[in-house]
Amino acid sequence: MYNEKNIINKDIPKQKFEFVQKGQKLYEQKIQGKPIGYMKDVWMRFRKNKVNLIASTILLVLIICSILMPIISNKEYIKIDEKVSFLPPRVPILEKFGIMDGTVFIEDRAVDLSKKDEETGLYLPKGYNEKALYMDTLTNKRVESLEKSPLILNGQSVLRLNYDSTSMTVESNEFYNLSIANNAYIEIDVFELDSSSNSKIEVLLQTDFGGDYTVIETITETGKHQVKVFELNEDLYADVISKLRIRYSSDNKGYYAAITSISLFDDSSNEPILFDEGYQLSVYKIVDGKGLYQRQNSEMILASFRYNKYLSAFDLTYESAFSSVEYEKLLAEWGDKVEVIPNPDNPDGWFFSEGFPIREVVRKNDSIKVGGQSYSSYEVYLDYASYLGYDDLPYYLFGTTLAGRDLFSLVWVGLRTSLLIGAIVTLINVTIGILYGAVSGYYGGNVDMLMQRFAEVMSRIPWLIVLSIMVVLFDPGITTLILTLVITGWIGIASVTRMQFYRYKRREYVLASRTMGARDLRLIFRHILPNGIGTIITASVLSIPLVIFLEAALSFLGFGIGHGQSFNVFGFTFSGVSIGVLLSDGRNFLFNHPYLTVFPSIVVSILMITFNMFGNALRDAFNPSLRGVED
Amino acid sequence: MFRYILIRIVWIFILLFTILSINFAVTKLAPSYPPPTEEEKSMYFNKQVYDGYMEFRLVTEAKEMEEIRKKIATGEAIRSSYYEDKGDFIRAFEPVPVSEQYFKWIKNIVTRWDWGLSTRVAVGKPVFDILKERIPTTMALNVIALLFYIPIGLTLGIIAALNKDKIIDNFISIAVMIMISIPNFVIIIMLVMIFGYYLEWLPSIFPAKDAVAALRFRGLILPVLALTFGPVAGLTRITRAELTEVLTSEFLLLARTKGLTRRQAVIRHAMRNSMVPLVPTIIFSFVGILGGTVIMERIYSIPGTGQIFLRSLTRNAYDYNLLLSLSAFYTSIALFAILIVDVTYGIIDPRIRMGGRK
Repeated sequence: MYNEKNIINKDIPKQKFEFVQKGQKLYEQKIQGKPIGYMKDVWMRFRKNKVNLIASTILLVLIICSILMPIISNKEYIKIDEKVSFLPPRVPILEKFGIMDGTVFIEDRAVDLSKKDEETGLYLPKGYNEKALYMDTLTNKRVESLEKSPLILNGQSVLRLNYDSTSMTVESNEFYNLSIANNAYIEIDVFELDSSSNSKIEVLLQTDFGGDYTVIETITETGKHQVKVFELNEDLYADVISKLRIRYSSDNKGYYAAITSISLFDDSSNEPILFDEGYQLSVYKIVDGKGLYQRQNSEMILASFRYNKYLSAFDLTYESAFSSVEYEKLLAEWGDKVEVIPNPDNPDGWFFSEGFPIREVVRKNDSIKVGGQSYSSYEVYLDYASYLGYDDLPYYLFGTTLAGRDLFSLVWVGLRTSLLIGAIVTLINVTIGILYGAVSGYYGGNVDMLMQRFAEVMSRIPWLIVLSIMVVLFDPGITTLILTLVITGWIGIASVTRMQFYRYKRREYVLASRTMGARDLRLIFRHILPNGIGTIITASVLSIPLVIFLEAALSFLGFGIGHGQSFNVFGFTFSGVSIGVLLSDGRNFLFNHPYLTVFPSIVVSILMITFNMFGNALRDAFNPSLRGVED
Repeated sequence: MFRYILIRIVWIFILLFTILSINFAVTKLAPSYPPPTEEEKSMYFNKQVYDGYMEFRLVTEAKEMEEIRKKIATGEAIRSSYYEDKGDFIRAFEPVPVSEQYFKWIKNIVTRWDWGLSTRVAVGKPVFDILKERIPTTMALNVIALLFYIPIGLTLGIIAALNKDKIIDNFISIAVMIMISIPNFVIIIMLVMIFGYYLEWLPSIFPAKDAVAALRFRGLILPVLALTFGPVAGLTRITRAELTEVLTSEFLLLARTKGLTRRQAVIRHAMRNSMVPLVPTIIFSFVGILGGTVIMERIYSIPGTGQIFLRSLTRNAYDYNLLLSLSAFYTSIALFAILIVDVTYGIIDPRIRMGGRK
């Protein structure tokens, strides 16, 4: 727009020009505007790079969050509460879109055969709260299973002979009561029976109570067989009460027969009196002969469904021993607002009026006297949400851990610990590094040579070896952690400081100060160090993420601090939970509860990225000639 | 040159010796952890006597026996000593002074290559044998990672440098920034979670030695990928920085004016010059990768040296002999990497004369 051509070609009338200083004399003038100091200059350069500025802002937000968030979120992150363990993340607005709504999809759980949904005819899963289950997502499927369990249905029971055996006998667990008046008979449904090798199934009953088992009927082919006990044995004069025995024998060792069902009928009704199939049949015991008694073709019903873990966790909760101390405390807190309503069905217990966390007391347990004081507990039903002090279902933004702690709070607490350890370790590193580097760089010569060799030896020790030495000496814990980080960490700062000292120690102003009688200490700390401080600051800031990273790695491997531990800094106690500890916890639940790993990972990644960008921005600002060298 | 390498090797041995000596002293300062069962314990102490770290004597004198029994009963710490009470006599295993043990230890290693027996991880097995079984796995993994990451890192770096300040360069720079910042164990966990558990494309733990070749190959993908993420980012970043600097230099302009194509100029002239700072980065990254495999091996259950390193560092069950041999392994690799760096300097850039007089 304002290039040469435009201005020249612009037609400006002559009268519009006028002299700026016509009739004025030019004197020396004061500089307009303020002088820009070193730090201000740095700030101006820092501000220029917008991306880095954003990164630095995010970093600042993270730091502030790590201090404030555990307080604001107001959730439990220290105590163990297994009732709310592994709740998935639940976020206020996102839950409307069906993501992070506190539900999980549970696949292939065994069903409770006694619970059937009337409308759809589907079985409900066993051990899950019906209220928290989304009925429209429920599906059943059948899979083959050979387990001897009441949950497994249908199929046949197989009598399989061993390779050295020709016969085996199984016996029912229950007594068959065969009534002579109603002409009772047993029906056996044989599914498979080998007809070629003299195979047979014999039905045995104890016709005299306490006597021997006698063969009532012999079956040689498959299909349904009615064993009319009283027709076959006409000399039976009374009811037969006996366990039923089935004997399978075959010339072919290792052969097998399969039975679908055994039932007991009589004339009194069309329905069988006793009906053994599936599981009931499979639990018959082998009493004689050698062989295996197994199931075949049996199947199991599995349910898959979406499940709201929050609803189930905060529903009415049964507590068999609710401490009386807590009970009294709750009652005292509520005072007049709560009324006791007697329970007409249960004279030992009582209800409470609406709103009170304890909904029902079933009974008061026996009290124990210890040291003159009596302790007792109650068997109660709790409204768990209200017991924990929530009016509605709470929102655990990042879910909860195995111990039922709020991951959202834990992540921030962990971040705080990580940052704090990063800061402490960097402070120690910088102090040692500056002193070491200053002495080494300032004095030079043999001192420098020796100190450099020492630093070289130290820097050549792999951190694993340092770790092993520290662990062996001090056991895992905060001391080991900090020492490991310091021993491998100070060398970088020392070499940067040494370089700065070599750069500035021959400068004229140092020489001038020395000729005026300044001592070494003054020269080092008043003259040389302040000039090289920019580079040292950048190196220090850039070393913080490295420290945090190594701390997380060490904690992850289990050599750091952990849950329940704490450490003191200047009289303040800090939690031992760091991001590394959280990641280490989540590692065992990668598949079932991935959120335990995902959220700490995201937070620590953002922290590292922004910290590095902040460090780079700082370096560019302090030392513009280095800009973009290692971007 | 030869003289220089010789001096460096001597220097490496001095360093190795110093570090191991510190390690040895530390293990002697800390409480000892002999094998847990009685049978293994007596085997262990007999071996200690054989190696010369302990002295064995029979205590038959009634008065002294009484004293020792009292010491055992009151739990008074008798550092590293061991007494077997046999009723009529006591078999006493008592340590010789640490300085003497130290020289015996060096002698055992130098003359017999005997690093001792494992006390906790694989009780009674010579530690060097344990190491020997596991080194191939770890080294193979590291070398494969190295072979993968060098070409990728260099290529990305060159692309970024040649397209400086264009979209592709910005994209690579941001990717590098992110990759370099995310801790490698987070990357490993995420990869295992996504490809191992969810998509089930790759095995979620390291396949056993006797698995099918195809499965073993697939088992290598995740660890190699995870190990190369960070180093690739680092290499890309340095390659880009070095190359952009060289690309603006006059000799490159000269090369172009001579009529060389851009490709020739970049590869023959620019790359060769920027190699000088790149080679040490590459070689040191090998040491870095080796450190990273420790975490990797734990997450992916790889039967390598890192895994036994962590096992021998189990709290209150430290396996000192194994630790010492592992320290020797890791330290010597780190030190020889430095030697290789120094030697390669001379090869890449003939202007740098190793050990030459001024």
